[in-house]
Amino acid sequence: MATLDQKSPNVLLQSLCCRITGKSEAEVAHQFQYAVRVIGSNYAPTIERDEFLVSEKIKKEMLRQRREADAALFSELHRKLQTQGILKHRWSVLYLLLSLSEDPRKPSGRVGNYGALFAQALPRDAHSTPFYCTRPQSLALGYGERSGALTASIGTSGISSMGVYTLNGPTPTPQSLLAGQPPQSAAAASQPLGSRLAWTLPMSSTPSSALTLPTMRPALGPPALSTRVVRTRRDGDTGEVSEAALVRDILYVFQGIDGKFIKLSAQENCYKIDSKVVLHKSLRDTCSRLAELGWLHNKVMKFTDARSVDRAFGLVGQSFCAALHQELKEYYRLLSVLHSQLQVEDEQGVIVCTENSLTLRRLLVWMYDPRVRLKTLAALVDYCQGRKGGELASAVHAYGKTGDPQMRALVQHILSLVSNPILNFLYRWIYDGELEDTYHEFFVASDPNVKADRLWHDKYSLRKCMIPSFITMDQARKVLLIGKSINFLHQVCHDRTPPGKITAASQSADTTKDAAELLSDLEGAFQEKIDAAYFDTSKYLLDVLNRNYLLLEHLQAMRRYLLLGQGDFIRHLMDLLKPELVRPATTLYQHNLTGILETAVRATNAQFDNAEILKRLDVRLLEVSSGDTGWDVFSLDYHVEGPIATVFTRDCMGHYLRVFNFLWRAKRMEYTLTDIWKGQMCNAKLLKTMPELSGALHQCHILASEMVHFIHQMQYYITFEVLECCWDELWNKVQQAQDLDHIIAAHEVFLDSIISRCLLDNNSRSLLNQLRSIFDQIIEFQRVQDSLYRSALEELTLRLQYEERKKQREAEGQWGVTAEQEAEEKQRIQEFQDTIPKMRSQFRILTDCYQGSVQQFLVLLMTSTDESLRFLSFRLDFNEHYRAREPRLRASLGTNRGRRLSNI
Amino acid sequence: MASAANANLNAVRETMDVLLEISRLLNTGLDLESLSICVRLCEQGINPEALSAVIKELRKASESLKTSENCTN
Repeated sequence: MATLDQKSPNVLLQSLCCRITGKSEAEVAHQFQYAVRVIGSNYAPTIERDEFLVSEKIKKEMLRQRREADAALFSELHRKLQTQGILKHRWSVLYLLLSLSEDPRKPSGRVGNYGALFAQALPRDAHSTPFYCTRPQSLALGYGERSGALTASIGTSGISSMGVYTLNGPTPTPQSLLAGQPPQSAAAASQPLGSRLAWTLPMSSTPSSALTLPTMRPALGPPALSTRVVRTRRDGDTGEVSEAALVRDILYVFQGIDGKFIKLSAQENCYKIDSKVVLHKSLRDTCSRLAELGWLHNKVMKFTDARSVDRAFGLVGQSFCAALHQELKEYYRLLSVLHSQLQVEDEQGVIVCTENSLTLRRLLVWMYDPRVRLKTLAALVDYCQGRKGGELASAVHAYGKTGDPQMRALVQHILSLVSNPILNFLYRWIYDGELEDTYHEFFVASDPNVKADRLWHDKYSLRKCMIPSFITMDQARKVLLIGKSINFLHQVCHDRTPPGKITAASQSADTTKDAAELLSDLEGAFQEKIDAAYFDTSKYLLDVLNRNYLLLEHLQAMRRYLLLGQGDFIRHLMDLLKPELVRPATTLYQHNLTGILETAVRATNAQFDNAEILKRLDVRLLEVSSGDTGWDVFSLDYHVEGPIATVFTRDCMGHYLRVFNFLWRAKRMEYTLTDIWKGQMCNAKLLKTMPELSGALHQCHILASEMVHFIHQMQYYITFEVLECCWDELWNKVQQAQDLDHIIAAHEVFLDSIISRCLLDNNSRSLLNQLRSIFDQIIEFQRVQDSLYRSALEELTLRLQYEERKKQREAEGQWGVTAEQEAEEKQRIQEFQDTIPKMRSQFRILTDCYQGSVQQFLVLLMTSTDESLRFLSFRLDFNEHYRAREPRLRASLGTNRGRRLSNI
Repeated sequence: MASAANANLNAVRETMDVLLEISRLLNTGLDLESLSICVRLCEQGINPEALSAVIKELRKASESLKTSENCTN
């Protein structure tokens, strides 16, 4: 033993040869040559130099053989070996022992049959990787372990040499190498080898034998035919493609690279096996089925390649590409495992392909799942073509609605990545109000042209198509509202509160982490988050508007001034304005009116109002058309600027002006009638002395009271049925409002209902015209009655003067009147009395006109659909005075009742 | 010096014992001398994969030789 120390490997090898064969040095020359060649040809080990791994393998092997006690013993020995530290290459020795180990339970009878094989194999080994007969331990290893262990060996010469070898068929056998044992004779002589081959054939499904000798296939099993099988196998290799080569090709095709035989056919857009290659149909089919993977891979790859450079594809698109890439990477990992497996086989030789080698069928099974995944990806890619942003997320989400749990998991994973940027946008938006959406992917759009005054209404909008389908419309609206509120606070209200203080639940939760959770649990956490942000932000906004910008006070001011709620002020204003307003509209000056307005404010309770509100109150003159008096063009105005203009928009103010105009007119009628009544009361006593007038005056009184009744009822209707009701509704809504939109909406509803009930909308134009004509007749009546009183009073004064003069003369002792004077007086009286019938007829005409208008108005009211208007008609005609006169009214009343009954 | 060499020799012997035991456990069929040759080869950096292949082939060759001899006999 000591003598062998430090000897060269050759000497050692020779003694080993002698030792094992038990022959002299001369006799083992051939074996020794072989041994030297083998050792020299593959000097670099293909296995990893890891002692631990080897020892683990040994233990596993022992456990496999159910020798637990031996395994324990081995680890004990191994530890001892490690402590001694004599050996430098412990792993190597262990590996050797492992390689040589044999299962003691197995019968070792087959050992004797290998001689011929050894003889055959030698020539091959002369220029290729060593040829091992069996190495069960490496083949029996687990899949993952092997792949891990063998990746290190990628890149050795195995592939190329083997590839050439198998493709060109076996190289001509050098006859000289093994004297006296030519391959043919060896094959013919070794029946056991034949049977072994026959046994392996069905497993590895060697194409050559199956093709050239189809009739042999069912009979492959029996050893009797084995010699022919071996022959066909060796001969058939020349013209055809072996399965191993196809497997190698397929592995390339999996990555979208053309193989030797399987190429991408451009016109058919699929991978096809070269038609010149002779191949069995089943293999061809299997190949085409496997090649689908390559096509799918190409599709996904093309998409990601095209998109990853496209900046305009946006963040969502980028993350979609990233997700696809991730999936592809998984796929590549699998391919590399397969590759390394192939490599191991290459290095071990061809015939080893027994239980664990790569075959097309095995690939078909192994690649089943990846194919399904790739198919899903390809379908996704197809479906997502041309979509971006939220739309893309919707598309992916749509694919997640499947019953297949694996596919769903895949899509869910992609979706969580894809929706990540969207959620990022979303959180930025609802917590900071910032829109960092360079590529227009988010479902909130901003219009940079919109100025601050229309910010709330126009600046931000929802991009309907970009709302991901996992976010409901309601949520999207809330999200829009939250960010809009924040922006509104910042830009319009100039509120500089840091966003974190507005929302109590700020960004404590990270977007990336919970993206997936949120998607799966949209009802819970996500909804809550949005709700919380919505609630806090809106509340804060309303607080700011109410506290700093007196929104509610302004609302009330609108009601008090523009809707004539502040009675004393309006009355006083009218008193003061009356002399101004009767003048033609062209002679009015705004500054005079403004002065009067201020006087009115100072003189009434309005003075106690907030200065902020009074400051905004102003006079406005409408456009003047010819013949207008001041009454027609006068209007109160209320300046709205800053944040409150969001609620009181220009449209709203237009509505307010219209309503004010109507109310002002109605008020003026009331005011006019008051004057009329005052005149009647004052003059009644005076004119008692003129009995000839009593008829005309009676007519006046009747008409005036009719008008008063009408206007009272109208005013009652406007005040209580319209203004107060609507106001109450508005106030309730405003008190309960959760966000500014609610207030705006409530306010708009308020204005709309006022407009429509005040007959200002398009539907009731005829009603309004009728009402206008009634109002006109009231004015006309006032004019006529005024002229009556004027002439009557003139006459009266003249008569009184006449009487007085008479008395004076009599007191002076003269004749009271001369005949001439008397005649003159009589004539004058006569003239006056002559005008009376004219006046009476004038009144009659006026009355008829008026009553006609009212009847017409009532008819229109009856047909109106608004209930409150129908009630108004009852109230106006409470004693059926007009109904008695107007047959149409009767008819329509009847039909109305009938209809209502039928409705009930 | 001598004692150190002696100790070294002892250690080598112990190691060989352990290896022999392992070899026996694994049922490699190597006797002490073959084993020691193999260990030496391995220590010189020979690829164990190749070596094991060689040993197997040698065994087979000798087996076949024996059988052929038997046949001829």
